[in-house]
Amino acid sequence: MTWCPEAADPAASGPVRKTLEMQDIKRPQRRWFVRPSSAYDQRSAMLFLAPMMLVLSVVAVFPVLYSFWISLHDLKLTRPHRVPFVWFDNYVKLFTDPLFWESVGRTASFTVMSVLAIMVIATLMSLLLNENFRGRRVLSAILLIPWAIPYVANGLMWKWIYDSGYGALNGLLMQMGLIDKYVVMLGDTAKTMPLITNAFVWKEVPLATILLLVTLKSIRADLYSAAKVDGANVLQRFVHITLPQLVPGFALVMIYESMMAIRHFDLFFILTEGGPADASHVVAWQVYVETFRKLAFGTGSALAYIMAVATFVLAYFVIRSTSRKL
Amino acid sequence: MTSFLPGRRTLLFFGSLLFALYVLAPIAWLVSSSFQSEAEITSVPPHWVPEQPTLENFAAIFQFSEEVVTYENRKQGDTATGGFIPSTAVNLLPSMKNSFIVALAVVVLNLLVSVPAAYALAKIRFIGRTSSIYFMLSTRVIPDIALVVPFFLFVQKLGLMDNLWALIITYLAITVPFSIFILTGYFESLPDELDKAARVDGCSRLQTLVLVYLPLALPSLVAVVLFTFLTSWNEFLLALMFTQTPASQTMPIVVASFTSDFNISFSFINAAGVMAIVPPVIIAIMFERYIVSGLTAGAVKG
Repeated sequence: MTWCPEAADPAASGPVRKTLEMQDIKRPQRRWFVRPSSAYDQRSAMLFLAPMMLVLSVVAVFPVLYSFWISLHDLKLTRPHRVPFVWFDNYVKLFTDPLFWESVGRTASFTVMSVLAIMVIATLMSLLLNENFRGRRVLSAILLIPWAIPYVANGLMWKWIYDSGYGALNGLLMQMGLIDKYVVMLGDTAKTMPLITNAFVWKEVPLATILLLVTLKSIRADLYSAAKVDGANVLQRFVHITLPQLVPGFALVMIYESMMAIRHFDLFFILTEGGPADASHVVAWQVYVETFRKLAFGTGSALAYIMAVATFVLAYFVIRSTSRKL
Repeated sequence: MTSFLPGRRTLLFFGSLLFALYVLAPIAWLVSSSFQSEAEITSVPPHWVPEQPTLENFAAIFQFSEEVVTYENRKQGDTATGGFIPSTAVNLLPSMKNSFIVALAVVVLNLLVSVPAAYALAKIRFIGRTSSIYFMLSTRVIPDIALVVPFFLFVQKLGLMDNLWALIITYLAITVPFSIFILTGYFESLPDELDKAARVDGCSRLQTLVLVYLPLALPSLVAVVLFTFLTSWNEFLLALMFTQTPASQTMPIVVASFTSDFNISFSFINAAGVMAIVPPVIIAIMFERYIVSGLTAGAVKG
């Protein structure tokens, strides 16, 4: 560098920290304390980030803290003037309530069933969409339709299909000869959760497919060519090249969809409102009941916080796996 | 990935057919039902293709009927012959207008907030960069249900109940982290040298962003607009809380109210469902290519 006359003269060499900036492209920053390039950079970054920080602090941070504060009180809107501070009484009451644990079990089984179904279907679809064939664009445009429609419309659509009196599912089964007359669908406690799971999976599959497709597209094409030269057949290429590289995609989809399934509310509201004899009474529904029907805000907040903690633990892994890209 | 499996084309064909059927069959049934009159829709077994297609359900949505069906006169007609509309039917079109206003406002504000933030996170090295990212992602960890109670009390105290602005600000907070996530990924895939070249040419950071990076980031901007619009349009729980009167209700709330009405008119509900899905589906199909490309930026190698 000292052989270059430009470098010897600081005024002609451009930005001051040229050497450091040339290096930082190759070296990923992992330290908590990142030295800024300049005070101007620090100021402008702060300025650019200010609106986001403002919005999120007011609308996301404050409610979280306030909600925790409420959960420590016994706040019932039916008697709003007396709000005793009860420490963690709300939480204790919830943890000792067997109905709570039943709803946790239902939420867990709903999550597991839907995530499994989503993974299987989305994997097959993304493998299909990764191939190049005529009409692929049409297929991927069609695929987006379930993702685009509102949850409410999805609920209404499936409610109509599952209708016990006139529904299409009943009609289809009868025309296929599987049943003799129309059966009760959503009102049957054995069938409720699988049917709701189906409606949820149908809506979530497109996004999972796209996430997996993104992962598939990042697999280097020359790996396949090299494997073919080495004599690997289709199945071997799939098992040894595609699957291992899909694992981060699987992890992301699994965790994201679990988060969505745990907190899902809309379908339970539209389809069954807690279900025949509590068959679909999941934790999210319980929060709604406590907050808006029983008007017990303290309990509702406590329940919501328990859900939040559970989702936070899951989300921690999402952040870990995706922050490598950031 | 190329493979020369014999019958590959047939496999792909049947696979595509299967998946297209899986996706389209429920929608096709919804559309078909919306063109059937009440009498036809309640037939057993169902008519897959309407034998007497009618537009009366859609007419009921578009006409502002003076004959509001109330609890008193609900028994005047026979449910099987139809001609009934739910009492809140007249609210459907105004609610779609509300949804549209909210979605548009959220999209504009979202872009104003996320684009500078994403640029700063992607291109500028500053103190607090990593913590900003974690902070931003962790705000979306809390399920929406947990926000219900504090938001409700907060909005009530501020007197913003029934105001569209409560919805707009809330949706902004929901969509901003994801937008920043997408945009940051895309900005990082754009070369740093452009930034340095612009700075050497004397651009300020803002000018670099607007003049150099924004035009290049068009695919991901479209993806962000799409995600934000659809999220605002489809959101249900928070709208349920913040809107009490039909004046400010958004489309999902009104559509959901049809099912809990004392008049269950299936053909009308299906027609309303079709109306509800048409705007998002059109937008999604129009911008389909940007969704994948907006997400895959920087991930394509080889």
